[in-house]
Amino acid sequence: MAERRKYKKRYCKYCEAKVDFIDYKDVAGLRFSLSERYKIMPRRLTGNCKRHQDMVATVIKRARAAALVPYTVTRKQVVTAPFENLK
Amino acid sequence: MRNYENLVIVKPTLTAEEIQESIKAIEEVITSNGGEIATTDTMGMRKLAYPIDKNERGHFHVIYYSAEPSVISEIERRFRINEELLRFVTIKYDTNREVTAWKELVKKALKKAEAPKVEAAPKAEEAPVAEEKTEAPAEETAPAAE
Repeated sequence: MAERRKYKKRYCKYCEAKVDFIDYKDVAGLRFSLSERYKIMPRRLTGNCKRHQDMVATVIKRARAAALVPYTVTRKQVVTAPFENLK
Repeated sequence: MRNYENLVIVKPTLTAEEIQESIKAIEEVITSNGGEIATTDTMGMRKLAYPIDKNERGHFHVIYYSAEPSVISEIERRFRINEELLRFVTIKYDTNREVTAWKELVKKALKKAEAPKVEAAPKAEEAPVAEEKTEAPAEETAPAAE
């Protein structure tokens, strides 16, 4: 029983898809690494490898500057329409 | 020459023609500084993720170009003066991997620019070119449908 895993085995989805470059304009692709409040999800939860996590982080920051992804989401926005901004 | 990409957000309060004019002026800024525009991609009017200068929407336009690294600061300075721009984002594609990605993006944008011309009604921009191309296939397809 001591060998039982505490969590599901994690793997990097980007490595599996052999992603070399992420486009910051592709907001739907970034959703995976964003929480519902549009925070960047930590590696320990998503399972991303270090290399891809770095890429994701810079890309999300670019998308934020371009007003494609919000910096912060208030409680009101979370309740009304969390995904409307993506369209 | 280095590869760059500029995303500009034009004010939504302008009319469609004014938006096209300001985009032309933006492209003029790049070409006059010795930049070579590879292609452009219009993302159209879309909702901003957060209000900028009390604007909730904006017209997104992406320009892929290559230019000398030294002229970028001048281009950005001109963009800052332009009051029709809500926001601009300049991305540098420097490493080999990024350059290949840039070429892919250009190809994609070119394809996207061609596709709607044949299928859907022409947009406001590139009106003369778009209309010529849409009319021809429309005439061809109409008899075939009958």
